[in-house]
Amino acid sequence: MRANKNLFWILAVFCLLLSAVYIFWHILDQGNVEWVGALGIGLAGVLSAFLAFYLGRVFSAQGGDLPEDRLDSDIDDGDPEMGFYSPWSWWPVILAGSASLMLLGFAVGTWITFIGVALVLVAIVGWVYEYYRGYFAR
Amino acid sequence: MGPATHTQMQKPCADIGHNGEVTSSSLTQTSSAPLIQRPNVVAVGTIVWLGSEVMFFAGLFAIYFTLRSTSGPLWESESSVLNVPFSLVNTLILVASSFTCQAGVFAAERLQARATGWKPTQWGTTEWFFLTYLLGAIFVSGQIFEYATLVSEGISMSSSAYGSAFYLTTGFHGLHVTGGLIAFLLVIGRIFAVKNMGHREATSAIVVSYYWHFVDVVWIGLFLVIYVLK
Repeated sequence: MRANKNLFWILAVFCLLLSAVYIFWHILDQGNVEWVGALGIGLAGVLSAFLAFYLGRVFSAQGGDLPEDRLDSDIDDGDPEMGFYSPWSWWPVILAGSASLMLLGFAVGTWITFIGVALVLVAIVGWVYEYYRGYFAR
Repeated sequence: MGPATHTQMQKPCADIGHNGEVTSSSLTQTSSAPLIQRPNVVAVGTIVWLGSEVMFFAGLFAIYFTLRSTSGPLWESESSVLNVPFSLVNTLILVASSFTCQAGVFAAERLQARATGWKPTQWGTTEWFFLTYLLGAIFVSGQIFEYATLVSEGISMSSSAYGSAFYLTTGFHGLHVTGGLIAFLLVIGRIFAVKNMGHREATSAIVVSYYWHFVDVVWIGLFLVIYVLK
């Protein structure tokens, strides 16, 4: 985690410096700021700093290195509860299908979009509450 | 039972030969694995996705600034129509909603779903999130009112480069806020769906708050660029 964090900080500093160089060089050459590159590179630096900051917070909160980051750990040291993972689900397929129907409607005929939006709502609710009802109701 | 049995059992092995002198575990192993707080994968995944959202809004800001630099006089005339005090009030409402959202997260960290009294310090996640929903809904309604006023003043998506840039940037942000409102309802629904609020519901509440704070920060950027900088 420490290595990940440092890599993102290096990327952040690199992108922000490069953005400054890009702005300065373009002003020297053309006399104005080129916004697409300046913002694209600059905000890529913000993206890296954002991830670096968050990983830093996670790293300091976890109180040590993860087993996967240690050379002296065994496979079974990294064997805690990793979280809940759905073994399989039809809902993402339904959501993808209804979302494509919704976007197809924008291109072909707006009436299809209304059907698509209704199906998207059904799919999102179905997916979010899949493990909250039926056998899984708590 | 004892040493006798032990030697008896070892005898056949000695004939075949065994690699008893080899150990399968590493020699530098510590006596016990250290206790560490494993990061929540849902939270880390949400943050990485929000990183990609930074780049989505980078594209929109790039559109806005490029069009502004190529048609300066148009920007001067069109941006003077904007009602800055109205938008400032709307901005403050959205910023306030981030604070109520965070109060809901603090309640979620206590695993407190419902209020135990009328005082805000006794509120649970659902009460705070309903209040956040209300503030967010006021913000979106205010934006729709602003759009209607601007269209009546002749600024539309297709009227000029300024209109396109204005509605694309603020419109995509408004869609994100609307998506956040739906997410709040889904999280409140999850809390209502269970008898006792647990860590899974708290995680949902926390990651939706990450998204909400992100969308709020993007709006502060948009407000500064569109209404203050002009």
